[in-house]
Amino acid sequence: MPEMQETVREWLDTGKVDLFLGYKQVEGHPLPYAFNRDNLEELQDLTVSEARYPLEKLGAGILAVQPELKIGILGRDCNRRALNVLAVHQQITPGQMEILEVKCCPSPLRKHADCSSLEPRTYGSVKLEVGIDNSMPTARMEQFDQQTRFDKWLYEFQKCLKCYGCRDICPVCFCKECSLEHADLVETGGVPPEVPLFHLIRAVHMAGRCIDCGLCEDACPVDIPLRLLYRKVNEIVKDLFGYETGLSLEQPPLSILGEGASGVTDSHRAAV
Amino acid sequence: MGFLQELFKFVGLEGRLRLEWISSAEATKFVKVVTEFTEQIRNLGPSPLAKGSAQPLEDLELPPLPQAAAGGGCGCAQTGT
Repeated sequence: MPEMQETVREWLDTGKVDLFLGYKQVEGHPLPYAFNRDNLEELQDLTVSEARYPLEKLGAGILAVQPELKIGILGRDCNRRALNVLAVHQQITPGQMEILEVKCCPSPLRKHADCSSLEPRTYGSVKLEVGIDNSMPTARMEQFDQQTRFDKWLYEFQKCLKCYGCRDICPVCFCKECSLEHADLVETGGVPPEVPLFHLIRAVHMAGRCIDCGLCEDACPVDIPLRLLYRKVNEIVKDLFGYETGLSLEQPPLSILGEGASGVTDSHRAAV
Repeated sequence: MGFLQELFKFVGLEGRLRLEWISSAEATKFVKVVTEFTEQIRNLGPSPLAKGSAQPLEDLELPPLPQAAAGGGCGCAQTGT
């Protein structure tokens, strides 16, 4: 940890970044915090833990107001993918944010991962029987017959409290006007929200956007297997268009409009 | 469209979505497609999402609780939440 604090100090000192978004240990809790040149002594409380917040989203929000800033963030592979997606959708300019990478993925050398979502949770017998085991691969889900698949998703979706936690925590959800709050698209004033429309709208919007960070599922108070749903969505995008979300600065196939759009081949058109 | 059909399939709603390009000159194709699709939908039966037909959470048939959990715990498993 001291090495990391030194690196951040150096980044701030040399002007490589003006702000560093990381986590500060406050009374035992790691909270997202902006370290800057005026509070260098606070760097001793910079911490790395399982706690994850969409720091790149917070950074993009700051850059929207003060685009001249350079921001460093503590991040993992998923944060890098999120930055690519934010750049693709012109929420940031590539290079405005610098990632100080911490390890996340388990390896033979490192069985335990920092990333909380990599440790499958254990679920109760009812959820496993009637609903969906969130750690299930998409291929397993597809093996159920149509009725079972439908019932399982309905069971999961009906638990929704419409807290918008999945959207609010999502590092790549940045729209000012959200379809999920549009009265013409989703009926207002009831819980659960229109099933399965509410979740399918979000699923469609995650196509070519979701970077599989798992924050939505972490945030969901009722354990809806959102990650499984969005993972499938991006498998479809990959199968149909050969597009891998977050790995490049290439435009996603679903935001390309019109005949003259570059990068769209006849096979893409057939798929749409 | 291919994307939406795949997504519908994943959540168990396959067969209810179709897109066809039909020119105003292709009357026979229009008739054929509409008849075919109507027949397909009729075979699938009423939409499981039609108002009132969705099974409320309380009515779901829950599996029997395992012996160990049935006696104690907070009771939340019994209500199925």
